[in-house]
Amino acid sequence: MAEMWITMGPQHPMTHGLWTLRVKVDGETVTDTEAELGYIHRGVEKICESREFVQITPYCDRLCYVSAMTWAHSYIMAAEDLLEAEVPERAEYIRLMAAEIQRLASHLMWLGAFGPDIGNLTLMTWCLRDREMFLDLLQELGGSRMHYNYPRVGGVKRDIPIGWANRMKAKVKLFENRIKEYEMLLDESTIWLVRLQGVGYATAEDQINAGVTGPNIRAAGVNTDVRWTNPYSVYDQVDWEPAVEKPTSIKGADCYDRYRVRMEEMRQSCRMLLDAIEKIPGGANTHYQPGDEMLITKAPTRAPEGATGFSTYECTRGVSNFYIQGGGDGRGKHPYRVSIRSPMFITIPYVAKTMIGYKVADIPAIMGSFDPCIGETDR
Amino acid sequence: MKDWLGLHDFIYYRTRELFSWALEDTFLESSANDIAFFVYTLVTCLVTFGGIMLSMFMILWIERKFYARVNDRRGATTALRSLWVGENGVTAGEWWNMIPYGLGKPVGALNKWLNKVAGNSGHKQEMVNRVGNRSWYGVTIFPGFFQNIADGMKFLTKEHMVPSRADKVIFELAPFLVISSTVMILGMIPLSSGIYGANPELSVLFAFAIFGIAPLGVFFAGWSSNNKYTLLGGIRSAAQLTAYEIPLLLSILGVCVMAGSFNFLEIVHFQHSSGAWLFFLMPLGGVLFLVSMIAEVERIPFDMPEAEAELVEGWWTEYGGMRFGLLFAAEYMRVYAASILFAHFFMGGWHAPFAGTIGSIPYLGDAWLAIPGVIWTLLKAWFIFTIVFVWARTALPRIRTDQILEFGWRMLLPLAVLQVVLSIVYRLYFFDAGALSDTVAGGWSWDLTILEFTIPWGLPIVTTLFWLAVFVILMKDENIEENEERMYHIRTMTPAGTHTAGKE
Repeated sequence: MAEMWITMGPQHPMTHGLWTLRVKVDGETVTDTEAELGYIHRGVEKICESREFVQITPYCDRLCYVSAMTWAHSYIMAAEDLLEAEVPERAEYIRLMAAEIQRLASHLMWLGAFGPDIGNLTLMTWCLRDREMFLDLLQELGGSRMHYNYPRVGGVKRDIPIGWANRMKAKVKLFENRIKEYEMLLDESTIWLVRLQGVGYATAEDQINAGVTGPNIRAAGVNTDVRWTNPYSVYDQVDWEPAVEKPTSIKGADCYDRYRVRMEEMRQSCRMLLDAIEKIPGGANTHYQPGDEMLITKAPTRAPEGATGFSTYECTRGVSNFYIQGGGDGRGKHPYRVSIRSPMFITIPYVAKTMIGYKVADIPAIMGSFDPCIGETDR
Repeated sequence: MKDWLGLHDFIYYRTRELFSWALEDTFLESSANDIAFFVYTLVTCLVTFGGIMLSMFMILWIERKFYARVNDRRGATTALRSLWVGENGVTAGEWWNMIPYGLGKPVGALNKWLNKVAGNSGHKQEMVNRVGNRSWYGVTIFPGFFQNIADGMKFLTKEHMVPSRADKVIFELAPFLVISSTVMILGMIPLSSGIYGANPELSVLFAFAIFGIAPLGVFFAGWSSNNKYTLLGGIRSAAQLTAYEIPLLLSILGVCVMAGSFNFLEIVHFQHSSGAWLFFLMPLGGVLFLVSMIAEVERIPFDMPEAEAELVEGWWTEYGGMRFGLLFAAEYMRVYAASILFAHFFMGGWHAPFAGTIGSIPYLGDAWLAIPGVIWTLLKAWFIFTIVFVWARTALPRIRTDQILEFGWRMLLPLAVLQVVLSIVYRLYFFDAGALSDTVAGGWSWDLTILEFTIPWGLPIVTTLFWLAVFVILMKDENIEENEERMYHIRTMTPAGTHTAGKE
């Protein structure tokens, strides 16, 4: 058959968002690809220049709608670096737990979207149901279901509610068993294995050159987990391991390796949560009023002249960076410039090129295994 | 054994009486029998088709409900359990309180007790609680049963559009090719020994010849829509056709060799009169038939022609309105036909299971034998649909096109040939034609004689046990503990639990 270009997107089941993948196919074989991004560019960086530091957090929540807490946390770390604010240890623990619950919810959303990519709708309903448990936990913290606006410069908005610790422990323990159920459904299925193994190879070298981070490169055997290599917050005080897969093929990590890394990362998040709730200063069942010194310290609202803030944060899809320069409006209340590094903006064009040589049916499998999120990509 | 609910005889004699009485002393008197025959054929066809179409609503309902149950994680058994599982004792819409005159009060009391001993409590099933916190309003007997009629009405009101620069004639023709050929299959399939649309001598061959027409319509639809997704879907369908059609026909050839006939009625009667369902004599053939039938009706895991993840909706992307609705209905008709075919070929069709054993019990046996054959056919078909088609759809991902081609040519085809050889051997050397019997109890044709020892029904038992052993050996996994490359073993740089983070 003659070669032809197929335009997948901007609305297509494979895209997991709003972007276009143009594929050149020879029959069923992909011979060339081209990624087009930018459909939902909202200009978050520019909007931030006319907002005060505390007002920026909701915008950072909306950078990625499945992983709001980690992005807000990432921004807050840069803002604290800029404003030189101290964070109480209890607040750090609460932030850690909130971020890990968000990671669980985000990975569940990934697995739930990955199932229909391969053709299994049951996985989606299972994952979305389990995700509800963790969204409920986050809702108790932040008050809303998806965009929480929870971290503050110098602490958190409010304390964990009474009984939250017990509910969280019960749900995490339940979920640890459910991961086993997922593996019974997926890893025991030969079709699942033949669809993922040997598909979508990406070597560590190529991924480093392209700048891919997060679970995608950890599947290739490179430990780039910022939480482990350069621990921020209290990640060095809780009990966990980075999930790193050693690929069996010299061609690099395939879709199955990436799937395994995320499953293991969910386990590690559970482990971290169960450990953190025991170690939290002040006790898990005490409730401090908002503004208590255990939760938040007084932070300046104006940035010093010429000061900059920078954060490196392990988001659910890779390393996110915020770079903030103070002194925007001449009085220091607004940032002069906010720059965001999104892991998926770097990954998606790389993924598009790794598809060459595989079948059309492998496109959703490869794309889904890299867990794209277009909200953070287009910013 | 004849089914007492013989629609054909009943209508045939009634129409003859009616027309010979009504046309007496008119100029049509000489052709009264011909007119009666015409009307009789029309009425039987309408009744049969009507029965099949109405019972097909059950298929849609079963799929929706069973799918929802499996997705509730609790598995198939929750269909009963969901009657009482609810949120803190308030369950399932309390439908028993809607029954007039307080007739539902015992159900409510039973429900309360069940909730106490086997309901959800505490934090464990929060999500089941949330799912269970739904209410049934309206018709409470089959909730969701009439949704399909509402869907059909919606399809009827949709606009019909033809894409610009599409091949209009072929585009309009393709759905009719698919739908009409699908309906014709149902004309060949009997519901019981007395209820069928038509019964030619070679009805099995005819039915499967028609089964092979629809993929041509799929290919036409894919090509004529002037859309790249539909083109890929149509070509996938054509490639798939070659891979599964041959194993399918070979597995049916095995059935026909065993039964010695190409006729549905005779194949079903053979299973009764020889004493064993064919599934116990050729489990391999039954499994091959089901696997290639799933491919034939294009359901998960073999639904590449309409793979929605990459091809949007495959070959029917461009169809809208009632054409889409009818194509959708045709797909379910094919699934239903496949289920009934399996019931006929391998599960004894409309004959009650253990007709001889249970039928000899006083009173109960009479009641058992009084159940009409059409009920057994439908029950078996629904059972197969639930256990095989819906379960496979819930549990399995979609396979890739090149993988099904390899699977079809390199596994299904040799196994199908093996099954044909086995069937010939069984029929020639183990079949005892003298023991065939058409009584209520059936015959004993499959005794196994080794060195003058005769094991009653030895052949079905030995065959089933053999293939069960093969199945168990194939399903048995290797030792997970010993094999470090195994999937359960996640390879971290430092194995979990050996040290504490940040302490070194």
